[in-house]
Amino acid sequence: MTTNQASDLFDKGGSENLYLTVKVGDQPFGIPVLRVHDVSMAQKVTSVPLAPPEIVGALNLRGRIVTVIDVARKLKLANATTSENKNAMFVVIEYENELYSLKVDSVGEVISPDPQSFESNPSNMEQGWREVSFGICRLEGELLVLINLERFFGGAIQVDTIS
Amino acid sequence: MDDMLSEFLTETTESIDEVDVELVQLEKDPNNPELLANIFRLVHTIKGTCGFLGLPRLERVAHSAENILGKVRDGDLIITGDIVTLILESLDQIKYLLAELEANQVEPDGNDQGLIDRLDAVAAGREPEPAEAPSTLPEVAEERELKEGEVSLEELERVFQDTPAPDTSASVEPERELKEGEVSLDELERIFQETEALVDAPQAAEEAPVEPAAPEAPPAASIPAPAEAKGPAKSPESSVANSTIRVNVELLENLMTTVSELVLTRNQLMQLLRVQENQDSDFAVPLQRLSHVTTDLQEAVMKTRMQPIGNAWAKLPRIIRDLAKDLNKKINLEMIGAETELDRQVLELIKDPLTHMVRNSADHGLEDTAGRIAAGKSEVGRVILEAFHEGGHIIVQIRDDGAGINTERVKEKVISNGLASEIELAGMSDQQIVRFIFKPGFSTAEKVTSVSGRGVGMDVVRTNIEKIGGTVDVTSVQGKGSTFTIKIPLTLAIVSSLIVGCGNEKFAMPQISVMELVRASSDTEHRIEKLNDKSVLRLRNRLLPLVDLRQILNIEEAVSDTSAEDAAAEEKGRGPAAINMLNKLRGRSRDDESFIVVSHVGQYQFGIVVDQVFDTEEIVVKPVSPLLKEISVFSGNTILGDGNVIMILDPNGIAAHIGDTTMVDEDAADANTTATNVDSGQRALLVFRAGGDEPKAVPLALVDRLEDFTMSSLEESNGEIVVQYRGHLMPLVNVEGATRNEEKERQPVLVFSDRGRSMGVMVDEIVDIVESTLALEIETSESGVIGNAIVDGNATGILDVSHYLLKCYGDWFENGHAQPKVTATSPSEKVLLMAENQFLRVMLDSYISSIGYDISTVTSLAEARELYDADVRFSTVLVDISLDEGGFAFAEALSSEPGWSDATFVALGSDASPEEVERMGQSAFEHYAEKGNRQALRQVLDDLEGKESVAA
Repeated sequence: MTTNQASDLFDKGGSENLYLTVKVGDQPFGIPVLRVHDVSMAQKVTSVPLAPPEIVGALNLRGRIVTVIDVARKLKLANATTSENKNAMFVVIEYENELYSLKVDSVGEVISPDPQSFESNPSNMEQGWREVSFGICRLEGELLVLINLERFFGGAIQVDTIS
Repeated sequence: MDDMLSEFLTETTESIDEVDVELVQLEKDPNNPELLANIFRLVHTIKGTCGFLGLPRLERVAHSAENILGKVRDGDLIITGDIVTLILESLDQIKYLLAELEANQVEPDGNDQGLIDRLDAVAAGREPEPAEAPSTLPEVAEERELKEGEVSLEELERVFQDTPAPDTSASVEPERELKEGEVSLDELERIFQETEALVDAPQAAEEAPVEPAAPEAPPAASIPAPAEAKGPAKSPESSVANSTIRVNVELLENLMTTVSELVLTRNQLMQLLRVQENQDSDFAVPLQRLSHVTTDLQEAVMKTRMQPIGNAWAKLPRIIRDLAKDLNKKINLEMIGAETELDRQVLELIKDPLTHMVRNSADHGLEDTAGRIAAGKSEVGRVILEAFHEGGHIIVQIRDDGAGINTERVKEKVISNGLASEIELAGMSDQQIVRFIFKPGFSTAEKVTSVSGRGVGMDVVRTNIEKIGGTVDVTSVQGKGSTFTIKIPLTLAIVSSLIVGCGNEKFAMPQISVMELVRASSDTEHRIEKLNDKSVLRLRNRLLPLVDLRQILNIEEAVSDTSAEDAAAEEKGRGPAAINMLNKLRGRSRDDESFIVVSHVGQYQFGIVVDQVFDTEEIVVKPVSPLLKEISVFSGNTILGDGNVIMILDPNGIAAHIGDTTMVDEDAADANTTATNVDSGQRALLVFRAGGDEPKAVPLALVDRLEDFTMSSLEESNGEIVVQYRGHLMPLVNVEGATRNEEKERQPVLVFSDRGRSMGVMVDEIVDIVESTLALEIETSESGVIGNAIVDGNATGILDVSHYLLKCYGDWFENGHAQPKVTATSPSEKVLLMAENQFLRVMLDSYISSIGYDISTVTSLAEARELYDADVRFSTVLVDISLDEGGFAFAEALSSEPGWSDATFVALGSDASPEEVERMGQSAFEHYAEKGNRQALRQVLDDLEGKESVAA
């Protein structure tokens, strides 16, 4: 797959080429910024017993109930300590009229990467990651994994209904 | 055009439903000119609008039906069952055409010549012939010719026929307006279309969708506006019609959601105000006002969603009539309380179950004519449908005077379907056996008729009703008939719920499924016992199966796992002594003391063991995220007044959990189930004495809480007795004929709540709670009492709660909220109360402030530190030492703070063991008081105050 084909894929994901960078553990991820509803600081999350492990719980965002997903657990990032992070950040995303919040370690900036720096997923990338990623963006000194939210949540919901 | 078409469809569907009902009435009462005029007008309107919209097929059917009705009205024809059947048939055809129209936007192909021929034949004065009658063709042709000259001729005829109508209808209108607000909407639309649409069609189409914007303003203000917008009203009906407008349901839903948010935000603000140190904050008064306005708004919006239950019944007379013909029975359907209002969402959801049940009663319940005569009954069977309000719920009863449910047949079916064994059945009462009809996979109909007996039976009805938080039950007397009772909430949007604690989490439970709370501890009669490793509770001579919420939700480890707790405690930085103490206290609170929420799913009762019980709160149920849908123990979630998200427990899901254990350990669990089923005719009655020795009683379900106020906490305001209760003034009244006994120290009060307002009825003594049938033996005109019944062998007066509610409410609005919250006068001492248990905290808070101390309460060390950091100082600190967090650790931590080292620390305990007392001696505590003993507590506080004043 050429670079151009890869960037076509990106365009399907987020029409504007803007990504919010977040870090889970040491790994930077890019979230299509147009899908981001809100970014908030640490707040009280009500845990939900019996929920799948990646679900941290629910929080109140100005009167709406938001389900919090631990990205580290969801993507099985073994080294990340997001679940214990007291200063974790919450990136709120709307998906199919429901609000979800991604619990991440830190939120960086909004970037508009050069389309030339896009790469499709390397073939040796783990299956679980490949499923939720549009591709990789080469940044200076690090590689940004661009998250496909449809797949991210679609997968999450599917997995849940199967279990 | 699309707008007009959908407008037409809505209106015509409603009209058709109305004609359905009225035709059946007309059949019984053929000489009622008003009824006839109304039917004629409705059918005529349908025809008129069809012509206007260019729907020839519909128009022709309506026209022919109208012809017959016209003849009947003019006295040329006598109404008979056959004619009614024929007209109903044409209505069905119209319905079919409407459905097609709705689906495809155009009329379906084909024609209805056969039906029209028969209709015209009747109109021409011949007997209706089931077969096609070719001889009528010429006449039809003539009709058609008339139709060619459509507009002028039709119009002429209509104008001509309409002239007498307004007079008769004017007398009908107001009555219908009273009955259901919606009908007048039809009126409005119809007049609108009849008088103006023809002249001014495009404008009409534009105006209609714009209208709904109006209702957001207060109803009173918006009423005149649409009337003027619609232009001069010519016909006499319009003055009535103009008082209502049609609003899009979606708009109302949005409004409702917004108001719900407003209520939540209001609750949050109120909560903030409550925890404020300074209760005289400038915010207090405006917030109170905001609170009232919000409540009013909420109630008003709720009202807009209310619809008479009669709307769900509209189709029933027709169904019963058809059924009677099909089954060759004579059935009289009586509908009582059709005006009872409930939320339209609920209404939609009970429509089908109700229809099913009424069908069932008519089909299975009633015997056929021969059977009835043989049984010595009147040949006309009765099905009575009744709806009424009862304590925040709607009760719908479906009664029939048929054969009753044949328990023998039920038994056979139960055994053959493997629902229970013969031995189990032998141990059950008839009542319990009858209830098997609600079990899945049960249908007793031996003959499958066209209406019922297809296997989807009462279990579906039950499931549907329980889905909306309702319950259904049946009582049946062989040979006399059966009664189905459905209890449904008024609304689904806002529910009252009980907040319980489990581990560190809080959960909400819908109040409707909570029957009572039991505090179980080893030293009272209520204690948890084990039956083959399953917990049960003896409750009023029955065994109640228990489930531990911790186990179900997988919160924390098993009870005996103390090492984990040690580790946890050490983590929090407590010393070994504190851990010992903690373990001991924990052991106590778990094994010997816990709260049991007795709940029920249908008739099945069970107890849920929780760690703590907090307050009740009105919550707006929100659906859970799709990610969590699979967790059956939660029915939703919501945001509490403090802004936290809380999960709502689903008793059905929890009961299902017990169901699983039943399979594992069938015998033990089944024994429990059988034992705990309560006879349905029985109700829990609270028996008390007031004003005389004879007992009085009130259904326990109506009582919100039982309170025991000290006499000194009762205050007199404006000649009314009031008490400070949960931050509000609650009015108290005496039972009629009784006077207040001021010599007593305590005043037991029955607290009744209705839509967030509470009032109390003072009684002399609460005697008991008994299960009894509530059958009024003697009705009475005496105010305050509904009548007398035999309860527990004694003649007992049944309290008329509504009487007392009414008595209070007038004053309640004037006095209760006008003044800001009353704080204790001239506080002499600052007291801090530290108690994690909500009941204890609320109880002591009200008590201590009532005896003149300025009291603050905290639930944890962290909260206390906040107060400390805010430079709040206290002279006395009361600490509940049975705290999970460790009262001793709390006292030690705080007494070492320089600002608080002067404070006197008082331990609050119950039945302190010698070790505890010894430990107290070594700790920061200087005094000890029994927390259950108010006098002793007061003594300690007063002594301390004395000490302070001497020192000063």
